[in-house]
Amino acid sequence: MAKETPLLPVEDAREMALFFVVGALCFLAALATLSAKSTYGAARSWTAEVEGELTVSLPDADRRGAESARKLIESTEGVKEARLLSKAEIDALLEPNFGSRGLPESLPLPQLIAVTAEPDAQFVGPTLERRLTEAGFANAVDEHADWAGDVRRMLSIARLVALTAVALLASTAIAVIAFATHAALLARRDIVDVLHLAGARDRYIAGLFERRFWLLGLRAGAVGALLALGAAAAMIFAVHSSGARTGLLPELSLDFQDLLILVLTPVIAGLAARIAARMTVIRSLKSVM
Amino acid sequence: MTLSRHDLFDDVAVRLDGVSLRYDTSEDILSGIDLVLKPGSFSFLTGASGAGKTSLLKLLYLALKPSQGEVSLFGRPTSRLTRDQLSALRRRVGVVFQEFRLLDHLTAYENVALPLRVLGRKESTYRSDVEELLAWVGLGERMHARPPTLSGGEQQRVAIARAVVTQPDILIADEPTGNVDPEMGSRLMRLFLELNKRRATTVIIATHDLGLVRQVEAPVFRLQHGLLVQDVEYGPVARRRTDIAKAAE
Repeated sequence: MAKETPLLPVEDAREMALFFVVGALCFLAALATLSAKSTYGAARSWTAEVEGELTVSLPDADRRGAESARKLIESTEGVKEARLLSKAEIDALLEPNFGSRGLPESLPLPQLIAVTAEPDAQFVGPTLERRLTEAGFANAVDEHADWAGDVRRMLSIARLVALTAVALLASTAIAVIAFATHAALLARRDIVDVLHLAGARDRYIAGLFERRFWLLGLRAGAVGALLALGAAAAMIFAVHSSGARTGLLPELSLDFQDLLILVLTPVIAGLAARIAARMTVIRSLKSVM
Repeated sequence: MTLSRHDLFDDVAVRLDGVSLRYDTSEDILSGIDLVLKPGSFSFLTGASGAGKTSLLKLLYLALKPSQGEVSLFGRPTSRLTRDQLSALRRRVGVVFQEFRLLDHLTAYENVALPLRVLGRKESTYRSDVEELLAWVGLGERMHARPPTLSGGEQQRVAIARAVVTQPDILIADEPTGNVDPEMGSRLMRLFLELNKRRATTVIIATHDLGLVRQVEAPVFRLQHGLLVQDVEYGPVARRRTDIAKAAE
Protein backbone atom coordinates (compact mmCIF):
# COMPACT_ATOMS: atom_id res chain seq x y z
CA MET A 1 0.00 0.00 0.00
CA ALA A 2 1.23 3.48 -0.82
CA LYS A 3 2.41 5.77 1.94
CA GLU A 4 -0.43 7.60 3.72
CA THR A 5 -1.10 11.10 2.46
CA PRO A 6 -0.41 13.72 5.15
CA LEU A 7 -3.63 14.99 6.71
CA LEU A 8 -2.44 18.55 6.18
CA PRO A 9 -1.84 19.20 2.51
CA VAL A 10 1.39 20.87 1.45
CA GLU A 11 0.72 24.45 0.45
CA ASP A 12 3.54 25.25 -1.94
CA ALA A 13 3.17 28.99 -2.47
CA ARG A 14 2.23 29.94 1.08
CA GLU A 15 4.86 27.72 2.66
CA MET A 16 7.59 28.78 0.26
CA ALA A 17 6.96 32.41 1.22
CA LEU A 18 7.07 31.54 4.91
CA PHE A 19 10.18 29.40 4.35
CA PHE A 20 11.89 32.37 2.73
CA VAL A 21 10.89 34.79 5.51
CA VAL A 22 11.92 32.43 8.33
CA GLY A 23 15.17 31.59 6.52
CA ALA A 24 16.00 35.27 6.06
CA LEU A 25 15.18 36.05 9.69
CA CYS A 26 17.34 33.13 10.85
CA PHE A 27 20.18 34.37 8.64
CA LEU A 28 19.95 37.85 10.17
CA ALA A 29 19.52 36.50 13.70
CA ALA A 30 22.53 34.18 13.32
CA LEU A 31 24.70 36.98 11.95
CA ALA A 32 23.53 39.35 14.69
CA THR A 33 24.31 36.70 17.32
CA LEU A 34 27.77 36.10 15.89
CA SER A 35 28.38 39.85 15.84
CA ALA A 36 27.08 40.22 19.38
CA LYS A 37 29.34 37.43 20.54
CA SER A 38 32.42 38.88 18.85
CA THR A 39 31.53 42.32 20.26
CA TYR A 40 31.42 40.77 23.72
CA GLY A 41 34.77 39.08 23.18
CA ALA A 42 36.37 42.23 21.82
CA ALA A 43 34.87 44.30 24.63
CA ARG A 44 36.36 42.02 27.22
CA SER A 45 39.87 42.21 25.72
CA TRP A 46 39.76 45.98 25.13
CA THR A 47 38.63 46.65 28.68
CA ALA A 48 41.28 44.33 30.07
CA GLU A 49 43.95 46.02 27.98
CA VAL A 50 42.89 49.53 28.91
CA GLU A 51 42.46 48.76 32.57
CA GLY A 52 45.89 47.12 32.86
CA GLU A 53 47.89 49.98 31.35
CA LEU A 54 49.19 53.05 33.20
CA THR A 55 51.52 55.83 32.16
CA VAL A 56 53.78 57.49 34.70
CA SER A 57 54.98 60.96 33.80
CA LEU A 58 58.09 62.37 35.56
CA PRO A 59 58.31 66.10 34.61
CA ASP A 60 61.53 66.95 36.47
CA ALA A 61 63.52 63.74 36.10
CA ASP A 62 66.46 63.21 33.74
CA ARG A 63 67.10 59.89 32.00
CA ARG A 64 69.06 58.41 34.91
CA GLY A 65 66.47 59.48 37.49
CA ALA A 66 63.75 58.05 35.31
CA GLU A 67 65.57 54.70 35.15
CA SER A 68 65.75 54.50 38.95
CA ALA A 69 62.07 55.44 39.10
CA ARG A 70 61.34 52.62 36.63
CA LYS A 71 63.13 50.15 38.91
CA LEU A 72 61.16 51.42 41.86
CA ILE A 73 57.94 51.00 39.90
CA GLU A 74 58.85 47.51 38.72
CA SER A 75 59.53 46.45 42.31
CA THR A 76 56.06 47.59 43.34
CA GLU A 77 53.54 44.86 44.08
CA GLY A 78 50.98 44.41 41.31
CA VAL A 79 53.26 45.67 38.56
CA LYS A 80 54.04 43.20 35.82
CA GLU A 81 56.29 45.35 33.69
CA ALA A 82 57.60 48.93 33.57
CA ARG A 83 59.30 50.32 30.48
CA LEU A 84 60.94 53.70 30.03
CA LEU A 85 59.84 55.22 26.72
CA SER A 86 62.60 56.36 24.38
CA LYS A 87 62.78 59.87 22.89
CA ALA A 88 61.66 58.47 19.54
CA GLU A 89 58.61 56.86 21.14
CA ILE A 90 57.68 60.10 22.87
CA ASP A 91 58.09 61.97 19.57
CA ALA A 92 55.82 59.41 17.90
CA LEU A 93 53.19 59.90 20.59
CA LEU A 94 53.26 63.66 20.10
CA GLU A 95 53.39 63.50 16.30
CA PRO A 96 49.62 63.95 15.84
CA ASN A 97 49.86 67.26 17.72
CA PHE A 98 53.28 68.62 16.70
CA GLY A 99 53.97 67.08 13.30
CA SER A 100 56.63 64.66 12.08
CA ARG A 101 59.66 66.96 12.15
CA GLY A 102 60.30 66.27 15.77
CA LEU A 103 60.33 68.57 18.76
CA PRO A 104 62.91 71.26 19.53
CA GLU A 105 65.61 70.01 21.84
CA SER A 106 64.99 72.99 24.10
CA LEU A 107 61.41 71.98 24.75
CA PRO A 108 61.27 70.29 28.16
CA LEU A 109 59.54 66.92 27.94
CA PRO A 110 58.65 64.67 30.84
CA GLN A 111 60.12 61.19 31.04
CA LEU A 112 57.41 58.60 30.44
CA ILE A 113 57.21 55.12 31.85
CA ALA A 114 54.67 52.65 30.43
CA VAL A 115 53.47 50.36 33.19
CA THR A 116 51.60 47.08 32.73
CA ALA A 117 49.79 45.92 35.84
CA GLU A 118 49.11 42.32 36.81
CA PRO A 119 45.63 41.28 35.58
CA ASP A 120 43.97 41.19 39.00
CA ALA A 121 46.05 43.91 40.68
CA GLN A 122 44.12 46.69 42.41
CA PHE A 123 45.01 50.27 43.41
CA VAL A 124 48.28 50.13 41.43
CA GLY A 125 47.98 53.80 40.39
CA PRO A 126 47.64 55.31 43.90
CA THR A 127 50.38 53.00 45.24
CA LEU A 128 52.82 54.09 42.53
CA GLU A 129 51.95 57.73 43.09
CA ARG A 130 52.63 57.40 46.84
CA ARG A 131 55.87 55.46 46.48
CA LEU A 132 57.29 57.82 43.82
CA THR A 133 56.39 60.86 45.92
CA GLU A 134 58.04 59.28 48.96
CA ALA A 135 61.16 58.67 46.85
CA GLY A 136 61.19 62.36 45.85
CA PHE A 137 59.93 62.09 42.28
CA ALA A 138 57.44 64.67 41.10
CA ASN A 139 55.03 62.48 39.18
CA ALA A 140 51.69 62.09 37.55
CA VAL A 141 50.13 58.66 37.10
CA ASP A 142 47.59 58.37 34.30
CA GLU A 143 45.35 55.32 34.61
CA HIS A 144 43.56 56.22 31.36
CA ALA A 145 40.42 56.40 33.45
CA ASP A 146 38.58 58.78 31.14
CA TRP A 147 39.39 56.81 28.03
CA ALA A 148 38.62 53.49 29.72
CA GLY A 149 35.31 54.96 30.85
CA ASP A 150 34.52 56.05 27.29
CA VAL A 151 35.44 52.61 25.98
CA ARG A 152 33.29 50.90 28.59
CA ARG A 153 30.32 53.14 27.81
CA MET A 154 30.75 52.54 24.08
CA LEU A 155 31.01 48.79 24.62
CA SER A 156 27.91 48.77 26.82
CA ILE A 157 25.99 50.50 24.03
CA ALA A 158 27.41 48.10 21.43
CA ARG A 159 26.42 45.11 23.58
CA LEU A 160 22.95 46.51 24.13
CA VAL A 161 22.46 47.17 20.42
CA ALA A 162 23.66 43.66 19.52
CA LEU A 163 21.43 42.02 22.14
CA THR A 164 18.45 44.15 21.11
CA ALA A 165 18.99 43.19 17.48
CA VAL A 166 19.12 39.49 18.38
CA ALA A 167 16.03 39.77 20.60
CA LEU A 168 14.11 41.74 17.97
CA LEU A 169 14.97 39.34 15.18
CA ALA A 170 14.14 36.29 17.29
CA SER A 171 10.81 37.74 18.43
CA THR A 172 9.98 38.84 14.88
CA ALA A 173 10.66 35.32 13.62
CA ILE A 174 8.40 33.86 16.32
CA ALA A 175 5.66 36.42 15.59
CA VAL A 176 5.84 35.70 11.85
CA ILE A 177 5.65 31.97 12.48
CA ALA A 178 2.70 32.40 14.85
CA PHE A 179 0.92 34.58 12.30
CA ALA A 180 1.62 32.09 9.51
CA THR A 181 0.40 29.20 11.65
CA HIS A 182 -2.80 31.05 12.36
CA ALA A 183 -3.24 31.79 8.64
CA ALA A 184 -2.56 28.13 7.81
CA LEU A 185 -5.09 27.08 10.42
CA LEU A 186 -7.73 29.42 9.00
CA ALA A 187 -6.99 28.19 5.48
CA ARG A 188 -7.34 24.61 6.70
CA ARG A 189 -10.35 25.20 8.91
CA ASP A 190 -12.30 22.60 6.91
CA ILE A 191 -9.75 19.90 7.71
CA VAL A 192 -9.57 20.93 11.36
CA ASP A 193 -13.37 20.80 11.62
CA VAL A 194 -13.62 17.37 10.03
CA LEU A 195 -10.86 15.98 12.27
CA HIS A 196 -12.44 17.62 15.31
CA LEU A 197 -15.87 16.14 14.54
CA ALA A 198 -14.30 12.75 13.82
CA GLY A 199 -13.19 12.76 17.47
CA ALA A 200 -9.60 13.92 17.09
CA ARG A 201 -8.32 15.38 20.33
CA ASP A 202 -6.94 18.92 20.37
CA ARG A 203 -3.38 17.68 20.85
CA TYR A 204 -3.73 15.36 17.83
CA ILE A 205 -4.76 18.26 15.60
CA ALA A 206 -2.14 20.55 17.14
CA GLY A 207 0.42 17.79 16.57
CA LEU A 208 -0.22 17.89 12.82
CA PHE A 209 0.54 21.62 12.71
CA GLU A 210 3.43 21.26 15.15
CA ARG A 211 5.18 18.68 12.98
CA ARG A 212 4.62 20.74 9.86
CA PHE A 213 6.01 23.94 11.37
CA TRP A 214 8.82 22.22 13.29
CA LEU A 215 10.15 20.85 10.00
CA LEU A 216 9.62 24.16 8.24
CA GLY A 217 11.45 26.07 11.00
CA LEU A 218 14.24 23.48 11.07
CA ARG A 219 14.79 23.59 7.31
CA ALA A 220 14.47 27.35 6.98
CA GLY A 221 16.74 27.81 10.01
CA ALA A 222 19.33 25.46 8.49
CA VAL A 223 19.34 27.43 5.25
CA GLY A 224 19.59 30.73 7.19
CA ALA A 225 22.44 29.37 9.34
CA LEU A 226 24.33 28.08 6.29
CA LEU A 227 23.98 31.46 4.61
CA ALA A 228 25.20 33.16 7.80
CA LEU A 229 28.16 30.76 7.88
CA GLY A 230 28.96 31.64 4.28
CA ALA A 231 28.65 35.38 4.96
CA ALA A 232 30.86 35.18 8.07
CA ALA A 233 33.45 33.08 6.24
CA ALA A 234 33.43 35.56 3.34
CA MET A 235 33.96 38.49 5.74
CA ILE A 236 36.81 36.70 7.52
CA PHE A 237 38.37 35.77 4.19
CA ALA A 238 38.04 39.34 2.90
CA VAL A 239 39.71 40.78 6.01
CA HIS A 240 42.53 38.23 5.98
CA SER A 241 43.23 38.28 2.25
CA SER A 242 43.39 42.10 2.06
CA GLY A 243 45.50 42.33 5.19
CA ALA A 244 43.12 45.03 6.34
CA ARG A 245 43.26 46.07 9.94
CA THR A 246 39.88 46.32 11.57
CA GLY A 247 41.18 48.49 14.39
CA LEU A 248 38.77 48.62 17.23
CA LEU A 249 36.01 46.86 15.30
CA PRO A 250 35.24 43.36 16.52
CA GLU A 251 36.39 40.61 14.22
CA LEU A 252 34.42 37.45 13.39
CA SER A 253 36.29 34.30 14.17
CA LEU A 254 34.15 31.18 13.52
CA ASP A 255 35.45 29.33 16.54
CA PHE A 256 33.66 26.43 18.26
CA GLN A 257 31.16 28.73 19.99
CA ASP A 258 30.31 30.44 16.71
CA LEU A 259 29.70 27.09 15.04
CA LEU A 260 27.54 26.08 18.00
CA ILE A 261 25.45 29.23 17.48
CA LEU A 262 25.00 28.28 13.82
CA VAL A 263 24.05 24.70 14.69
CA LEU A 264 21.55 25.89 17.32
CA THR A 265 19.91 28.43 15.00
CA PRO A 266 17.74 25.91 13.08
CA VAL A 267 16.92 24.01 16.27
CA ILE A 268 15.73 27.21 17.96
CA ALA A 269 13.81 28.22 14.82
CA GLY A 270 12.17 24.79 14.68
CA LEU A 271 11.27 24.85 18.37
CA ALA A 272 9.92 28.40 18.14
CA ALA A 273 7.81 27.37 15.15
CA ARG A 274 6.59 24.29 16.95
CA ILE A 275 5.64 26.12 20.14
CA ALA A 276 3.98 28.95 18.19
CA ALA A 277 2.02 26.40 16.17
CA ARG A 278 0.88 24.52 19.25
CA MET A 279 -0.22 27.65 21.10
CA THR A 280 -2.05 29.02 18.06
CA VAL A 281 -3.89 25.79 17.29
CA ILE A 282 -4.87 25.03 20.88
CA ARG A 283 -6.11 28.61 21.39
CA SER A 284 -8.07 28.45 18.15
CA LEU A 285 -9.63 25.07 18.98
CA LYS A 286 -10.65 26.32 22.42
CA SER A 287 -12.97 28.76 20.67
CA VAL A 288 -15.05 25.88 19.29
CA MET A 289 -16.93 23.28 21.31
CA MET B 1 -12.21 9.34 32.09
CA THR B 2 -12.84 7.16 29.04
CA LEU B 3 -16.38 6.65 27.83
CA SER B 4 -17.10 3.20 26.41
CA ARG B 5 -19.99 1.82 24.43
CA HIS B 6 -20.85 -0.34 27.42
CA ASP B 7 -21.27 2.70 29.57
CA LEU B 8 -23.68 2.13 32.45
CA PHE B 9 -25.61 5.28 31.60
CA ASP B 10 -26.39 4.27 28.04
CA ASP B 11 -30.15 3.89 28.61
CA VAL B 12 -30.72 7.05 26.54
CA ALA B 13 -28.63 7.70 23.46
CA VAL B 14 -29.62 11.35 23.01
CA ARG B 15 -31.50 13.68 25.30
CA LEU B 16 -32.25 17.35 24.72
CA ASP B 17 -33.75 19.23 27.65
CA GLY B 18 -35.19 22.68 26.91
CA VAL B 19 -32.57 23.35 24.28
CA SER B 20 -32.58 26.73 22.56
CA LEU B 21 -30.08 28.01 20.03
CA ARG B 22 -29.38 31.44 18.69
CA TYR B 23 -26.51 32.77 16.64
CA ASP B 24 -25.08 36.05 17.92
CA THR B 25 -27.91 38.43 18.70
CA SER B 26 -30.46 37.02 16.28
CA GLU B 27 -33.72 35.39 17.30
CA ASP B 28 -33.78 31.81 18.52
CA ILE B 29 -33.27 29.31 15.69
CA LEU B 30 -34.42 26.56 18.00
CA SER B 31 -36.57 27.12 21.02
CA GLY B 32 -37.17 24.90 24.05
CA ILE B 33 -36.49 21.63 22.25
CA ASP B 34 -37.07 18.43 24.23
CA LEU B 35 -36.03 15.22 22.54
CA VAL B 36 -35.21 11.69 23.63
CA LEU B 37 -33.71 9.09 21.30
CA LYS B 38 -33.40 5.60 22.73
CA PRO B 39 -30.40 3.44 21.83
CA GLY B 40 -31.18 1.51 18.66
CA SER B 41 -33.97 3.87 17.59
CA PHE B 42 -34.46 5.06 14.02
CA SER B 43 -35.98 8.49 13.40
CA PHE B 44 -36.38 11.14 10.78
CA LEU B 45 -36.14 14.88 11.11
CA THR B 46 -38.04 16.97 8.63
CA GLY B 47 -38.97 20.58 8.21
CA ALA B 48 -38.88 23.34 5.65
CA SER B 49 -35.61 24.83 4.48
CA GLY B 50 -34.24 27.14 7.15
CA ALA B 51 -36.34 25.48 9.85
CA GLY B 52 -33.16 24.64 11.79
CA LYS B 53 -32.65 20.96 10.93
CA THR B 54 -28.92 21.35 10.35
CA SER B 55 -28.57 23.46 13.51
CA LEU B 56 -30.33 20.79 15.54
CA LEU B 57 -28.08 18.11 14.07
CA LYS B 58 -25.02 20.25 14.89
CA LEU B 59 -26.13 20.25 18.51
CA LEU B 60 -26.45 16.47 18.37
CA TYR B 61 -22.98 15.89 16.93
CA LEU B 62 -21.49 18.40 19.36
CA ALA B 63 -20.41 21.02 16.88
CA LEU B 64 -22.39 23.70 18.70
CA LYS B 65 -23.23 24.51 22.28
CA PRO B 66 -26.86 25.32 22.99
CA SER B 67 -27.66 28.88 24.11
CA GLN B 68 -29.92 27.35 26.73
CA GLY B 69 -30.72 23.87 27.96
CA GLU B 70 -28.69 20.71 28.00
CA VAL B 71 -27.61 18.16 25.39
CA SER B 72 -26.82 14.75 26.82
CA LEU B 73 -25.32 11.83 24.92
CA PHE B 74 -25.35 8.34 26.46
CA GLY B 75 -26.55 9.85 29.71
CA ARG B 76 -23.71 12.38 29.92
CA PRO B 77 -24.64 16.07 30.08
CA THR B 78 -22.17 17.46 27.57
CA SER B 79 -21.88 20.86 29.26
CA ARG B 80 -20.04 19.19 32.14
CA LEU B 81 -17.53 17.24 30.07
CA THR B 82 -13.89 18.07 29.42
CA ARG B 83 -12.64 18.55 25.87
CA ASP B 84 -11.08 15.08 25.84
CA GLN B 85 -14.35 13.55 27.04
CA LEU B 86 -16.23 15.41 24.30
CA SER B 87 -13.76 14.00 21.75
CA ALA B 88 -14.39 10.52 23.12
CA LEU B 89 -18.13 11.06 22.69
CA ARG B 90 -17.71 12.34 19.13
CA ARG B 91 -15.94 9.09 18.26
CA ARG B 92 -19.20 7.28 18.99
CA VAL B 93 -21.12 9.50 16.57
CA GLY B 94 -20.93 9.16 12.79
CA VAL B 95 -22.01 12.16 10.76
CA VAL B 96 -23.01 12.49 7.12
CA PHE B 97 -22.76 16.18 6.38
CA GLN B 98 -25.10 17.80 3.89
CA GLU B 99 -22.10 19.32 2.10
CA PHE B 100 -20.10 16.06 2.46
CA ARG B 101 -16.98 17.74 3.93
CA LEU B 102 -14.55 15.42 2.22
CA LEU B 103 -10.87 16.33 2.24
CA ASP B 104 -9.92 17.07 -1.35
CA HIS B 105 -6.26 16.09 -1.03
CA LEU B 106 -7.10 12.59 0.21
CA THR B 107 -8.37 9.73 -1.92
CA ALA B 108 -11.85 8.26 -1.43
CA TYR B 109 -10.20 5.38 0.45
CA GLU B 110 -8.27 7.76 2.72
CA ASN B 111 -11.37 9.87 3.36
CA VAL B 112 -13.32 6.83 4.47
CA ALA B 113 -10.41 5.65 6.63
CA LEU B 114 -9.98 9.08 8.25
CA PRO B 115 -11.93 8.36 11.50
CA LEU B 116 -9.92 5.15 11.95
CA ARG B 117 -6.70 7.05 11.38
CA VAL B 118 -7.77 9.58 14.01
CA LEU B 119 -8.32 6.66 16.39
CA GLY B 120 -4.68 5.73 15.85
CA ARG B 121 -5.36 2.43 14.11
CA LYS B 122 -2.75 1.00 11.80
CA GLU B 123 -3.67 0.92 8.15
CA SER B 124 -3.11 -2.83 7.90
CA THR B 125 -5.86 -3.44 10.50
CA TYR B 126 -8.61 -1.68 8.57
CA ARG B 127 -7.62 -1.86 4.90
CA SER B 128 -9.92 -4.74 3.95
CA ASP B 129 -12.87 -3.29 5.91
CA VAL B 130 -12.58 0.07 4.16
CA GLU B 131 -12.20 -1.54 0.74
CA GLU B 132 -15.22 -3.74 1.39
CA LEU B 133 -17.29 -0.79 2.52
CA LEU B 134 -16.30 1.23 -0.54
CA ALA B 135 -17.21 -1.72 -2.77
CA TRP B 136 -20.57 -1.98 -1.00
CA VAL B 137 -21.43 1.66 -1.75
CA GLY B 138 -20.41 1.06 -5.36
CA LEU B 139 -17.05 2.81 -5.28
CA GLY B 140 -14.75 -0.20 -5.38
CA GLU B 141 -13.26 0.99 -8.65
CA ARG B 142 -13.01 4.61 -7.57
CA MET B 143 -11.32 4.23 -4.19
CA HIS B 144 -8.12 5.94 -5.32
CA ALA B 145 -9.91 8.90 -6.89
CA ARG B 146 -9.88 12.23 -5.12
CA PRO B 147 -13.18 14.01 -4.31
CA PRO B 148 -12.85 16.75 -6.96
CA THR B 149 -12.92 14.03 -9.63
CA LEU B 150 -15.98 12.30 -8.15
CA SER B 151 -19.60 13.13 -9.00
CA GLY B 152 -21.92 14.56 -6.33
CA GLY B 153 -23.50 11.16 -5.78
CA GLU B 154 -20.11 9.46 -5.48
CA GLN B 155 -18.94 12.06 -2.99
CA GLN B 156 -22.10 11.51 -0.97
CA ARG B 157 -21.45 7.78 -0.86
CA VAL B 158 -17.87 8.38 0.30
CA ALA B 159 -19.24 10.66 3.02
CA ILE B 160 -21.70 7.97 4.13
CA ALA B 161 -19.00 5.30 4.13
CA ARG B 162 -16.81 7.57 6.28
CA ALA B 163 -19.66 8.11 8.73
CA VAL B 164 -20.32 4.40 9.23
CA VAL B 165 -16.79 2.99 9.00
CA THR B 166 -16.29 3.04 12.77
CA GLN B 167 -19.70 1.44 13.32
CA PRO B 168 -20.80 4.35 15.50
CA ASP B 169 -23.39 4.15 18.25
CA ILE B 170 -25.23 7.12 16.77
CA LEU B 171 -25.48 7.95 13.08
CA ILE B 172 -26.58 11.44 12.16
CA ALA B 173 -27.22 12.09 8.49
CA ASP B 174 -28.12 15.43 6.95
CA GLU B 175 -29.92 14.88 3.62
CA PRO B 176 -27.92 11.69 2.95
CA THR B 177 -29.69 10.79 -0.27
CA GLY B 178 -29.97 14.25 -1.76
CA ASN B 179 -27.50 13.64 -4.58
CA VAL B 180 -28.08 10.00 -5.46
CA ASP B 181 -30.59 8.29 -7.73
CA PRO B 182 -33.63 6.57 -6.14
CA GLU B 183 -32.03 3.12 -6.47
CA MET B 184 -28.86 4.20 -4.65
CA GLY B 185 -31.03 6.12 -2.18
CA SER B 186 -32.88 2.91 -1.30
CA ARG B 187 -29.62 1.02 -1.07
CA LEU B 188 -28.13 3.57 1.31
CA MET B 189 -31.31 3.51 3.35
CA ARG B 190 -30.92 -0.28 3.64
CA LEU B 191 -27.37 0.32 4.92
CA PHE B 192 -28.71 2.65 7.60
CA LEU B 193 -31.43 0.13 8.54
CA GLU B 194 -28.89 -2.68 8.64
CA LEU B 195 -26.66 -0.68 10.96
CA ASN B 196 -29.69 0.12 13.06
CA LYS B 197 -30.87 -3.48 13.30
CA ARG B 198 -27.60 -5.40 13.48
CA ARG B 199 -25.62 -3.05 15.69
CA ALA B 200 -28.47 -1.24 17.42
CA THR B 201 -27.06 2.00 16.05
CA THR B 202 -29.25 5.00 16.85
CA VAL B 203 -30.02 6.63 13.52
CA ILE B 204 -31.47 10.07 12.89
CA ILE B 205 -31.84 11.28 9.34
CA ALA B 206 -32.73 14.83 8.34
CA THR B 207 -34.43 14.85 4.99
CA HIS B 208 -36.88 16.60 2.72
CA ASP B 209 -37.51 13.36 0.87
CA LEU B 210 -40.92 12.15 2.06
CA GLY B 211 -40.61 9.16 -0.25
CA LEU B 212 -37.62 8.08 1.78
CA VAL B 213 -39.49 8.67 5.02
CA ARG B 214 -42.39 6.50 3.84
CA GLN B 215 -40.07 3.52 3.26
CA VAL B 216 -39.50 3.07 6.99
CA GLU B 217 -41.84 2.77 9.92
CA ALA B 218 -40.10 5.26 12.17
CA PRO B 219 -40.96 8.34 14.20
CA VAL B 220 -40.75 11.57 12.29
CA PHE B 221 -39.82 14.79 14.07
CA ARG B 222 -40.74 17.97 12.34
CA LEU B 223 -39.19 21.37 12.99
CA GLN B 224 -41.52 24.28 12.61
CA HIS B 225 -40.78 27.86 13.65
CA GLY B 226 -37.97 26.67 15.90
CA LEU B 227 -40.19 24.15 17.69
CA LEU B 228 -39.99 20.38 17.42
CA VAL B 229 -43.15 18.33 16.93
CA GLN B 230 -43.52 14.59 16.40
CA ASP B 231 -45.38 13.80 13.21
CA VAL B 232 -46.86 10.29 12.93
CA GLU B 233 -48.55 10.64 9.55
CA TYR B 234 -45.71 8.94 7.65
CA GLY B 235 -44.30 5.46 7.30
CA PRO B 236 -45.66 2.22 5.81
CA VAL B 237 -48.30 1.71 8.52
CA ALA B 238 -49.67 5.24 8.07
CA ARG B 239 -49.54 4.80 4.32
CA ARG B 240 -51.42 1.48 4.53
CA ARG B 241 -53.99 3.14 6.80
CA THR B 242 -54.44 5.90 4.26
CA ASP B 243 -54.75 3.35 1.44
CA ILE B 244 -57.41 1.38 3.37
CA ALA B 245 -59.36 4.55 4.09
CA LYS B 246 -59.23 5.49 0.42
CA ALA B 247 -60.38 1.98 -0.61
CA ALA B 248 -63.31 2.14 1.86
CA GLU B 249 -64.44 5.36 0.28
